[in-house]
Amino acid sequence: MKGTYLGELEELVLLHVGILYPEAYGVAVMDEIERQAGRSLNISAVHAVLTRLEEKGYLKSKMSDPTEERGGRRKRIFLLTAAGKRALEEANELRNQLYSQIPKVALQLVGVSKY
Amino acid sequence: MESKRKIQPPRWAIRFLQWYCRPELLEEIQGDAYEIYYREVQVNKRRADWKFIWNVIRFFRWRNIRKRKKDNLKYSTDMLQNIFKVAVRNFFRQPGHSFLNVMGLAVSFTAAFLIGLWIFHEVSYDRFHLDPDRIFKVMSHVDANGTIETYSTARVNINLAAIPDVTEKTVVITGTRWPNELCFRPDGKPNECIYLFGVFAEQPFFSIFNFPIIKGDQNPLANPSNIAISESMAQKLYGDVDPLGKIIKIDDHYPVTIVSVFQDVPSNSSLQFQFILPIQVFARMRGFSDDYFNRDFQTVYFKTSTDISGEVLTTMLNKPDIRTEDLKKDKLSYSAFSFVDTRLHSEFVNGKNSGGRVQYVNLFTLIAILVVAMAVINFVNLSTARASNRSKEIGIRKVTGALRTGIVMQFVGESFLVVVMALAMALLSTQLLLPAFNNLIGETLSVSLLNLSIVGWVAAFALVVSLAAGLYPAWVMSAFQPAKVLKGNTVTASAGAQHLRKILLVVQVSVSVGIIIFTGVLFQQLSFVREKNLGLDNQNMLHMEPTYNLLKQYNAFKNELLHHPEIENVTATTADPINLTVQTTGVSWPGMPDGKNASFKLLGGNHEMAQAFGLTLTAGRMFKNTSSGKNEMTLSLNTDSTKQEVIVTERAVREMELKEPIGTEIGIGNAKFTIIGVVKDFHTESLKQEQLPVILYVHDILNCSRLYVKYREGATASALEIIENTYKEFEPAFTMKYDFMDEAFDKMYKTENTASTMLVFFTGIALLIAVIGVVGLATYNVVRRKKEIGIKRVFGASVIQILGNLSQEFIWLITFATLLATPTVWYVSDRWLQSFAYRINMPWWIYAVTLVTIVLLTILLIVLQGLKTVRTNPTETLRSE
Repeated sequence: MKGTYLGELEELVLLHVGILYPEAYGVAVMDEIERQAGRSLNISAVHAVLTRLEEKGYLKSKMSDPTEERGGRRKRIFLLTAAGKRALEEANELRNQLYSQIPKVALQLVGVSKY
Repeated sequence: MESKRKIQPPRWAIRFLQWYCRPELLEEIQGDAYEIYYREVQVNKRRADWKFIWNVIRFFRWRNIRKRKKDNLKYSTDMLQNIFKVAVRNFFRQPGHSFLNVMGLAVSFTAAFLIGLWIFHEVSYDRFHLDPDRIFKVMSHVDANGTIETYSTARVNINLAAIPDVTEKTVVITGTRWPNELCFRPDGKPNECIYLFGVFAEQPFFSIFNFPIIKGDQNPLANPSNIAISESMAQKLYGDVDPLGKIIKIDDHYPVTIVSVFQDVPSNSSLQFQFILPIQVFARMRGFSDDYFNRDFQTVYFKTSTDISGEVLTTMLNKPDIRTEDLKKDKLSYSAFSFVDTRLHSEFVNGKNSGGRVQYVNLFTLIAILVVAMAVINFVNLSTARASNRSKEIGIRKVTGALRTGIVMQFVGESFLVVVMALAMALLSTQLLLPAFNNLIGETLSVSLLNLSIVGWVAAFALVVSLAAGLYPAWVMSAFQPAKVLKGNTVTASAGAQHLRKILLVVQVSVSVGIIIFTGVLFQQLSFVREKNLGLDNQNMLHMEPTYNLLKQYNAFKNELLHHPEIENVTATTADPINLTVQTTGVSWPGMPDGKNASFKLLGGNHEMAQAFGLTLTAGRMFKNTSSGKNEMTLSLNTDSTKQEVIVTERAVREMELKEPIGTEIGIGNAKFTIIGVVKDFHTESLKQEQLPVILYVHDILNCSRLYVKYREGATASALEIIENTYKEFEPAFTMKYDFMDEAFDKMYKTENTASTMLVFFTGIALLIAVIGVVGLATYNVVRRKKEIGIKRVFGASVIQILGNLSQEFIWLITFATLLATPTVWYVSDRWLQSFAYRINMPWWIYAVTLVTIVLLTILLIVLQGLKTVRTNPTETLRSE
């Protein structure tokens, strides 16, 4: 497949699946991302990412019981796999590690350089 | 909750989603879409609907789309092999039928390709320039007593700078004679003469038009002592030697330097030339002063910097700073004419564009479509008629599990094979026929299959035709019910299919009949034109271009010629009497009503011209021989010296409403003339135009540009030899340029003649295809009615009776088809005839003859086809029950 590289949107979705445990499904993830990150995504985009993550093995899914608000249809509930959890940890670690390498001065100068 | 159930997203969106979505994903996708919908709908139903539709569209992704079931899509190779084998076997089982099918299609494709090539060529005219839609030509419209005459000229110094959108303007002087046709001497051969055509143009010529200069100065028209020549002209004059810097003496007199060589002008350019000279050279050759030349009328082209429309430009051209007071007084107005329309839309009637060649382009497009449609109809008819032969095969296929779509695919595939075969034959025959076709229509079309767009067109064409031809038969055949077919019932196509066959045959025959009748009318009119008494003798008349030197020795030359008994008469004129363009509205006469603006044609020449052209005198006398040279006066519009004599036509007398024309004094411009004779009217233009009154006057021989030699009938070859020899005596350094007047007259109908030759060609094809159609159906009919014929024979019917019986249906259909075609053809050919001022009455007999011929032909075909079956011993046909 496409390797284990985790895209930015993929990471975001993966995080939210974790947050919403055990009620993560398409619309819920979309709403949560909008609420938490302020990003308005189309439901089809969320679906695409979810299936891709499942293909990569970071997520697994099962069908829920039928629900009223969906006209009696079932939801596909997504859950993090061990690999998914590890991918999140790695991404987080990598980011922290890189962030810590930025010299303090550089961070200070960012503010100054704007006059 | 109950109310939620009733509120639904748009039904089609739901269906669409259900249609495309993979079943295993449908539930969750639908679920999410509905959840959002129900949430939104509480706020705003319309918004929710839109959002739902949007989501459904966004879900339409490769990942979500239902993939066709694999086993449904895949034909096993064995099956494909079988289908292919069956197709090939069927093709060869009935070679006659297959041959008719392929031939019919191939012939019509060839016709369509040839027409297509011609149309592409016509439409591509002048399109190779940069921004061709921004190039315009100025037209002048002159109101001559109610009818508006249109010329493609404008004042040379027209103030186009007054229009801000116009970036560049150039005057281009074209023509077919001196000074546009000049004698060039090849390098080192001073006594040889190659006549080449060229134009005179102003400097921006090369930046307005796209005629790439491949060698030398990019702006050759800047200096009046320059000339630019074409590649092929350079080759002709200098071979492989570099022509740049060589000096050419125009008319052996005026030296110009070759500074540039341009690429040969493509054949689809309406401006054709071998060389270009600066416009100043023209003024100098004609002896015009700058002031005079600036007020002269010539063709003016200009280019705009914006996509401004012709209408807007026309209004701008008629503003007072361009259309000056004096032009207004002459009732002249300008209009902008799109340059790319030059080829196809160049005709004007009464100041309005009336199309032109485009009529023929449309006509032939229609014919190409009709011819292909007819062949496709044949194909459909023959295939459905033959359907019963395949019924058992279809039955077995269905029983063993073939789906209807599969069978449809099989038959469409088969027709695709036939179409591809026909296409290959058509491409081959197009290649083979192209030289002959080019010869026929006088063009140089070529086809290059390497061109990707042509390949694309051809492929698209094949696809469309095979779908059109294959889909219906496939549909009919695949509808057979296996139970019936396999029980052994002979399956004939349904009544609907039979009706359709008849309708198609009627359509086909109407089309053929239409084309045939139209061709007949066209031919009648063209032969009428050719044979009409022009009132002027153009038979056995040779026209040649004299040199100045020859004109100076005109009398000696003439006397020398007249020594020979083959030569009957010699005369000189200033213009071509059968295509007379010298026209004026500046004629005045006693009692002329105020504000009258009548057009007269003027023909100047030496005193014998009226006799030489065989004009009939009805009153007064001809010009007298005043060959001392003293009294042969120049028509000068500015002097009012001694009175000159003129001869006028009867129409001119009527126009001027003169009771006693002889001796009447008239004015042309400021000059005064006396009418000394009246001659019968004669045509001075193509018969498309109404005759105009003509005034003949005597002109100084040195200003004449055309010599005419009348020779004895039947002595063309010897007369030509005498004339050429005499010419060589007087002008050893020049090659005589000549043509025959009747041929030149025919050339005026070049478009019509081309169209008529093409039409004959396609009439043949239309007829052939109709014959194929009739033969196909007749054969089928006979086979189908074999048993019926047998029984009839047993009960004592004669061969004639049975044949009559067989033809009856066809004769009805064909008569009906002819009657159906008549009004349309009448309308179309009547409109075509209207384009001639002098025309034949609608020849009704052509309609009758066509009908009778077609009916007879059909009977003949049916008799030939049926005879064998009818004569078979009935025991044979009836035995095999």
